[in-house]
Amino acid sequence: MNRILLLLLSSSATLLVFGLWIPLKAVVAQELLALAWAESQARQTETRPWPWADTWPVARMALPELDRSMIVLEGTHGESLAFGPGRLVGGLPGEGPVIIAGHRDTHFRQLDELAPGSGIRLQGQDGQWQDYQVEASRVVDSRREQIDTQRLSPDTLLLVTCYPFESLDTGGPLRYVVTARRRNPAPGNRLEQIDTVAGL
Amino acid sequence: MMLSTTLLRLSVPAKPANRARLRRFMEGITLWLAFLLLLFVQPLYAEANVADELQPGLLHFTDNRGDWQEPALVLDSDFDVTVSGLIADTRLTRRFRNTSDHWREGVFVFPLPDKASVYALTMTVGERTITGEVRPKAQAREEYAEARGSGRQAATVEQQRPNLFTSRVANIPPGEDISIELRYQQPVDYRDGQFSLRLPTTLTPRYMPGPMLPTGEAAGWSEGWAIATREVPDADAISPFTVRPEDVAADSHRASISVSLNAGLELADVTSPGHELETRTDGQEVHVSPSEGTVLMNRDFVLRWRPVHGSEPVAAVFHEQFDGEDYLMTMVVPGAASDLTLPRDLVFVIDTSGSMAGESIRQARQALGRGLDTLSAEDRFNVIQFNSQPHALFMAPVPADGMNLARAHRYVSRLQAEGGTEMASALSLALGGAGSDDTDDAARVRQVVFITDGAVGNEAGLFRQIREQLGNQRLFTVGIGSAPNMHFMREAARWGRGTYTAVSNPADLGGPLAALFSAMEAPVLTGLRTQWPVADAEAFPERPGDLLRGEPLIQVVRGVPPEGTLSVTGMAPDGKRWKRTLDLRQSAGGTGLHRRWARAKIDSLLDRARIQGEQPDEEQIVRLAMAHSLMSPFTSFLAVDSKPVRSGNDPLLADSVPTLLPAGTSAGMLRYPQTATISPLLIALGLVGMMFSAAIVLLRGRVGL
Repeated sequence: MNRILLLLLSSSATLLVFGLWIPLKAVVAQELLALAWAESQARQTETRPWPWADTWPVARMALPELDRSMIVLEGTHGESLAFGPGRLVGGLPGEGPVIIAGHRDTHFRQLDELAPGSGIRLQGQDGQWQDYQVEASRVVDSRREQIDTQRLSPDTLLLVTCYPFESLDTGGPLRYVVTARRRNPAPGNRLEQIDTVAGL
Repeated sequence: MMLSTTLLRLSVPAKPANRARLRRFMEGITLWLAFLLLLFVQPLYAEANVADELQPGLLHFTDNRGDWQEPALVLDSDFDVTVSGLIADTRLTRRFRNTSDHWREGVFVFPLPDKASVYALTMTVGERTITGEVRPKAQAREEYAEARGSGRQAATVEQQRPNLFTSRVANIPPGEDISIELRYQQPVDYRDGQFSLRLPTTLTPRYMPGPMLPTGEAAGWSEGWAIATREVPDADAISPFTVRPEDVAADSHRASISVSLNAGLELADVTSPGHELETRTDGQEVHVSPSEGTVLMNRDFVLRWRPVHGSEPVAAVFHEQFDGEDYLMTMVVPGAASDLTLPRDLVFVIDTSGSMAGESIRQARQALGRGLDTLSAEDRFNVIQFNSQPHALFMAPVPADGMNLARAHRYVSRLQAEGGTEMASALSLALGGAGSDDTDDAARVRQVVFITDGAVGNEAGLFRQIREQLGNQRLFTVGIGSAPNMHFMREAARWGRGTYTAVSNPADLGGPLAALFSAMEAPVLTGLRTQWPVADAEAFPERPGDLLRGEPLIQVVRGVPPEGTLSVTGMAPDGKRWKRTLDLRQSAGGTGLHRRWARAKIDSLLDRARIQGEQPDEEQIVRLAMAHSLMSPFTSFLAVDSKPVRSGNDPLLADSVPTLLPAGTSAGMLRYPQTATISPLLIALGLVGMMFSAAIVLLRGRVGL
């Protein structure tokens, strides 16, 4: 009896640890990514955050209203999304549409707090910040709708995450999509927008 | 975790005083765990509320605010085809079943064969049958909208493209069915001694080139995901949602097919490249149906039959009287004229756009490989691939020597499908190379082989371009995939003075392609003319033009009684005159000839308008279509019940029934990525387990005391 109890207790504790490990990994990885991002900006190359990583930072995204900032990785395969939001489509911010997807339980947990008019800032490898403004957010059924990248205007930014936010079902068909459009940069303060970055 | 396991071990030998403390401690822990669990389980409740509205196996939609909508309509199709001679007559019954608690309007965009003449519509509700009538398009829309608004049951079918139609069914009662029966006829293909018939069941999502029009311009009559563009103003009306078969109800989007072949000839074999068949011979008639019963509507049903060797028809005449007029249809197969072959310049154009991704691009690569293998040493060739932009392998056509061929094979094997379908620039590149005035070029036959699924929305513009840039070249189209746009294949080849071929699956590559490439190598009978016994006979196609080997000449004519002789003349490639006569008194009875003639006449009116770059004569087409009770670009079918069944208070919800993604294609557009982790699930499970075991420990403590 004790053994069964011990087994039950330890297995549920393991589950709990694994469950907590995912958000922990998401937080810790962002710190490592910040270093890699600084390095890739300084050297203007793609810098892998750790030698065996299959992805690399491509942008920094800031949500001023939510006081959050995170590093965006290349690709949206499971491995890269565990560490940060992934860029599904897009080159440098400012050249064509950008689509970024993230996990609803980690980095994009607060995505529903973005209201129309909220600002999103995106910094590319060149250090240039692009200002986006949220236009709308909606829920789509991924079985019924797909992203037609040819139809997106070049100044669009799409943030995609799973919906509903509190669901336990990982394979649900619904997605929460935030559409933002680039604000025209004010010509005067371009210089201020460039962050000074120290190399490692 | 460590804490609780040590506690567990401690609990056995501990003293009574310690035990009481321990129990209090455990109770405290359990309370906290329970509290944590409560926090975590709350979202579980929230989700359960959403899930309550779900019924498994049905397609659900959300509106733009993210609210759940009612389950979709379920769709059944039944094709009942009768083939007699060169015309196949189909009775297509579509049943819309409303599984929801609300009144519904069903909207379904569907393909029909590209030369189909739709001539009847009946709507069946319960016991009652309402016969549809043909109306001018705008009037049909108006009357339909009015019937829908006033709660009467109504059905309408309108033509978007010659092979693409939209049907709307208003006021389907909750939990009930409405059946729409459509009757259409289509010509049977006859080439190289083999008859074939294609029943399309779905469509490949079309690419819409051109800049977007501001939304809202096409008001209210559109259901698709595509946004209207300058080159395809009706993009939203011709792009239904395409979904995977597993996304619709298990019994939805299934078709039962039965074909009665009344060929009038003894048949050697009946085959289908994509489906297994069950055949039953009943005297002269052969009954064919797929052996699996109902088939999933995600690939075209293709049927081929061949008369026993030696009895392949070389000429035929059919006669029918309609409205006091005589109609004749004739077929003449020229046969081999001579064996003269000329050196060729062959340009292969391969579509590597996103819609070709998956099985299609593999087939296309194989087809192109086979084409390269047919080149002889005197020929020159080039390979062009296109998606959003065209790219040519060689600057100009190069001799088909071993090295160049090896390079081409390597290039082809590496082709990947992605991006748009900007066909216009690829056509310019392929057809534009003819301008050089090299003396060597004059003796060469220039041919372009276009390998594509034809998934474009701007067909008309491309046909115009082919006509303008063709010069002395010939364009051959090869349709790829489970549901190629056959209208594009046929018309592009017609404007390009070539032929078209469709390949249905990898196992099917050999036959049709071998026939195409051997026809391309063989000389062509040019300048064909027909001489009818009556001077002012209206025959279509007006100028038969050229015939490749194995192709028959088929003409329909009005106002010629079945007497006298028809003479067909042409020019063989060696400059000799070629002549054949046909005794019209030999004619057999036929049905539906007048519809075929009317459809051909409408097509020729549309062609003429296209060539002259002006609007087609709408009035004349409507008159013709009404007289023959035909669907056309300007006429639609409409069936309206007389008495209202839905009271004004009950809402009517519209449902666009999706079409299935053709088998073997991968979705051209991006699917939304999977963006959830199992972390919440693990945490919840872990907490539940911890609490459960803590509770057991506690209970044991109490009992043990």
